[in-house]
Amino acid sequence: MLREFSYAIAAIGLAVSAQAHANENLLELQENPEYWATQLGNYQGNRYSELDQINRDNVDELRAQWQFSTGVLRGHEGGPLYVGDGKLYIHTPFPNKVFALDLEDEGRVVWTHEPNQDSRVIPVMCCDTVNRGLAYADGRLFIGQADNTLVALDSESGEVLWEAENGDHTKGETNTMSPLVVGDKVIMGISGGEFGVRGHMTAYNVETGEQEWRAYSNGPDEDVKIDPEETLMLGEPIGEEDLGETTWPDDEWKRGGGAPWGWVTYDPELDLIYYGTGNPGTWNPDQRAIDGEPADNKWAITVFARDPDTGEAKWVYQKVPFDEWDYDGVNENQLIDVEIDGEQRKGLAIIDRTGFGFLLDRENGELLVAEKFAPETNWASHYDMETGRPVVNEEYSTFRQGVDVNTTDICPTAMGAKNMQPSAYSPETGLLYAGINRICMNYEPYETEYTAGQPYVGATLTMMPAPQEDEENGMEGRMGSFIAWDPVKGEKAWEIDERFAVWSGALATAGDLAFYGTLEGYLKAVDIETGEELWRFKTPSGIIGNVNTFQYEGKQYIAVLSGVGGWAGIGLAAGLEDPEEGLGAVGAFAALDDYTKLGGVLTVFALPDA
Amino acid sequence: MFATKANTTEVGPIRQIGGKWLMLSLGIMGSMLTLMSAAIAEDDGNDVTNYTVKDGKVDQATYDGYEAYTRVCQACHGPDGLGSSFAPSLMEISETRTLGEFVATVANGQEIQPGKVMPSFADDQYVMNNVNNIYRYMKARAAGDVGRGRPDVIGDGDDKEASDSDSDQAE
Repeated sequence: MLREFSYAIAAIGLAVSAQAHANENLLELQENPEYWATQLGNYQGNRYSELDQINRDNVDELRAQWQFSTGVLRGHEGGPLYVGDGKLYIHTPFPNKVFALDLEDEGRVVWTHEPNQDSRVIPVMCCDTVNRGLAYADGRLFIGQADNTLVALDSESGEVLWEAENGDHTKGETNTMSPLVVGDKVIMGISGGEFGVRGHMTAYNVETGEQEWRAYSNGPDEDVKIDPEETLMLGEPIGEEDLGETTWPDDEWKRGGGAPWGWVTYDPELDLIYYGTGNPGTWNPDQRAIDGEPADNKWAITVFARDPDTGEAKWVYQKVPFDEWDYDGVNENQLIDVEIDGEQRKGLAIIDRTGFGFLLDRENGELLVAEKFAPETNWASHYDMETGRPVVNEEYSTFRQGVDVNTTDICPTAMGAKNMQPSAYSPETGLLYAGINRICMNYEPYETEYTAGQPYVGATLTMMPAPQEDEENGMEGRMGSFIAWDPVKGEKAWEIDERFAVWSGALATAGDLAFYGTLEGYLKAVDIETGEELWRFKTPSGIIGNVNTFQYEGKQYIAVLSGVGGWAGIGLAAGLEDPEEGLGAVGAFAALDDYTKLGGVLTVFALPDA
Repeated sequence: MFATKANTTEVGPIRQIGGKWLMLSLGIMGSMLTLMSAAIAEDDGNDVTNYTVKDGKVDQATYDGYEAYTRVCQACHGPDGLGSSFAPSLMEISETRTLGEFVATVANGQEIQPGKVMPSFADDQYVMNNVNNIYRYMKARAAGDVGRGRPDVIGDGDDKEASDSDSDQAE
């Protein structure tokens, strides 16, 4: 009976819902600090909570209340959603189970959704079968399954309301990202940058799943939804036509990557969505050059600002023209309001894969700040603020060094000084908080041929820890850190060294706390102003998920998925070689495998009852 | 010379692999490629696993194995054959599987348990041309004769050895 009932509700929803209903519902939920309604906490991507029941003075009392095993062994990215209905919604990596857990009853399973997916999708997921989580709006949950099916579920029953095909795994396309609901649309990107896919961002009707628009990351302007007379670049119209086609040799743009697999943020006032695109096709830059010279390979590694209703690009900023290091530009675009040179600006801040912290004007895409947050960064000396282009260091240019040449000691590694793990922003401190990687690489490009559905990589990569900063206070034996970053000054406020790359999403709260997880499995709370560690708890497995918070029946909870994996698990399980030890050395930096094992678990924390 | 019997409806192409002939038989069961057989004919007594390590340097075939591993296998199996959170150590696999079994798994792929899938590389000429070399490199790694990282090749750069700090490191 329940089944028929929920279908009836769905049918009513179809008939009467106003166009912007879902949007209004989601905005309302985001404004209530008791809820955590989107993966990034709000449309602006701030991962900030006004809740302060758990605070600097009492966080040492924080206790695990209950745990829940997902029964899935792969890397658990993303985090739980709470939308005020007494249930916590969580998801898993492939097979992408979704659970509704009863908060009244310490995680009793209200319903489970487990799709039946073709397991042949697994080998085309480059770096583990991760999924970055659910989206919610107006009684519906949305998940992008690994096999490219975008699914809408009834949040009361878990019943499937609709399904849409977002890609083709036989071409190497998969889904890993979390969708975002904006207006009456579900916005969804694609993964597959290591398979020569042609990246795209797509909007589906929230009620029916029907495709509304699709904007590609490369190719002619029509496909990219660029108007060269209107779309801005560094505050001016682009001017030239079809740069997404002409900045590539031959037809290379057709396998030109630019997969947007990270996060989408949204400014409801400007009515613009923001996201970044991934690496351009093959990792061998030689195959993307024109007449032996670097070509921009637009619009890979580019921030797009688009109209969510039509997909039209309002402005673009290419962070890395002609990538030579796999510096995917997908990291979250934090929408923050800042004062710069005495003027209020609508800012967009990125702690980027490249090792640079960017600040842009989110109205027109003007570049305001580009400074290194990872001091070892050496692929570029700085950004030319006039042209918005990096000044590349020839010594670390894998293109200048050449095909079949092993360019050594490039920093950061292809994993990025920060990968997709989303940062937090506190409007009180004006600082961004992020887990980062302190890892460098050797990179050797080689000629590769494109075959649909086969890896299209064309470079070998080996990694090593970043060099020590200094003898006294340096990074010895450390491969990551958690930083507080001033996006306006372009400098670090403080930094906490960690043994491994920090691969979890951060949380900032009005309780003067910042939270993050470590690859060993610790959840840590630190003083938001000083970085002093105030509390830690060892979860059963490494944390690559995001720390979320919510309030239920008067009590504030902190919740996180643990379950090691992702690229971090692949790269760091065995430990990295010590670059000082030379070839064939037995001494390696700490192996993650010595600290943690697989297994997905949700842990929910709160203060003990008074 | 050995051969395993194929109980399959379809016989795949004959490919030359690292100087050896490999006959691949790909069986279709349901919608998946399943491991049916792989037969390897040894052309002489020169065992493909008979790698050479001299002053820390390796023979060309072992080096080619390192390169192929790093290009293709590392993305799942981790650096230097050590395994990862996603896929097992091929060093360990090479100790418990024969070359024939190793080649068959690479060619046919396998599904170990739901959600744990090894893709088929039968259509990847580069991998199939180097599968013997990958096995050889893994054997050398498993025996402890070749360390982590990129090995040097015997005969390469001997004239500048004195100035190359890496080249004379022994295992």
